[in-house]
Amino acid sequence: MMIWRFIPFKQLSAFENMAMDEAIFRENQRRDSPPTLRIYSWSPPSISLGYFQETRNEVNVSACSRYHIDIVRRPTGGKAVLHEHDLTYAVIAKEHNPLFTPDILGTYRIISGCIAEALSELGITTEMSVDGRTSGEESLKAACFSSPSHYELLVNKRKICGSAQVRSRGVFLQHGSILLDFDPVKTCTLLLPQHGNREKQIEKLRESVTSIYEHIGSEFSTAKICHILQRSFEKKLGIELVEGGLTAAEGILMARLIKDKYTNDKWNIEGKGALHGS
Amino acid sequence: MKVFPDDLLYNREHSWVRVEGELATIGITDYAQENLGEILAIELPEVDSYVERDEPFGTIESAKGVFELMSPVSGEVLNVNEDILDDIGIINSDPHDTGWMIVVEMKDLEELDDLLDSREYHDFVIKEAEGD
Repeated sequence: MMIWRFIPFKQLSAFENMAMDEAIFRENQRRDSPPTLRIYSWSPPSISLGYFQETRNEVNVSACSRYHIDIVRRPTGGKAVLHEHDLTYAVIAKEHNPLFTPDILGTYRIISGCIAEALSELGITTEMSVDGRTSGEESLKAACFSSPSHYELLVNKRKICGSAQVRSRGVFLQHGSILLDFDPVKTCTLLLPQHGNREKQIEKLRESVTSIYEHIGSEFSTAKICHILQRSFEKKLGIELVEGGLTAAEGILMARLIKDKYTNDKWNIEGKGALHGS
Repeated sequence: MKVFPDDLLYNREHSWVRVEGELATIGITDYAQENLGEILAIELPEVDSYVERDEPFGTIESAKGVFELMSPVSGEVLNVNEDILDDIGIINSDPHDTGWMIVVEMKDLEELDDLLDSREYHDFVIKEAEGD
């Protein structure tokens, strides 16, 4: 049975979370490392932007400041996500890992299958979207959860889990956000373009996004949901998740990425100087 | 299967090079663009900056994710294709020609010895597709 490393649940800052994921991703490119699964949350609440997003076009920066929301740019693609009541996962593995398929979208499908299994165990039935993200989207375009993408998970056509990837040197990092709870009003204030009819935007978000709590309440603790997710990955992929921490090299690189990249506005706000961490 | 032009050299990260003296024009292969799907955004280095062999020279976002572009050679960037910044669809429609990305003045021509010719690259992508 294939062994994966599982980094146990932790609540960290946006800067620490992104630096840790990128450090694992970069070190995996240099070594014959086993795949890694992380499940985590964000404190303080934060907005993560996709690699190519224009911060000031997508995020209400002054509202974020008022709400004490950190802003960080992800190494992965996709759209902006508010991380306040969510669980984020990161999977880092070689592209040629036999558990995954040759096509890029196959990775999304397989990992979404693991999340769907966990949600099913919680009593939530999901279906997978098959539409790809395109450049033609207009209103609500900033918010990741307002537009289903490839193999993302929906409950009655409303998105509950979104995901995004980066690939380099034969390794992929996939991020996904599983909503525990959803506040369309706050999301609209922080994420969406501040033009058009705000009430309609909120209504559209309400119609297109859902959360775990909306379906089953908050009876399951975060620890319990993490445990179910962990078991679902093991069951669906036929792997054993073994708890572990960062290697020394990953820890050193994480510290460097926090200092030089993820607490640097040049990266987070301007998206400049991609500082690849190599 | 795709046809890869004979006058180009290729690396295993699916970039191609057209060599004219010490100048290397670099882009991504038709195989790469097809796997990536519709390309939505690109980030390329600035003129006068340096790229290193087997290090990222740029980043692409497609409908499927973000992908780092690995440079097949080292050297100074002399030119960047402004046309693809204006119309990014060129990378999908004409990756081996007008979809070129940068021109580099190579600092070590021996780096070319490690690249694949069109036949070797063709075999490499077949093996990669089968092995995956």
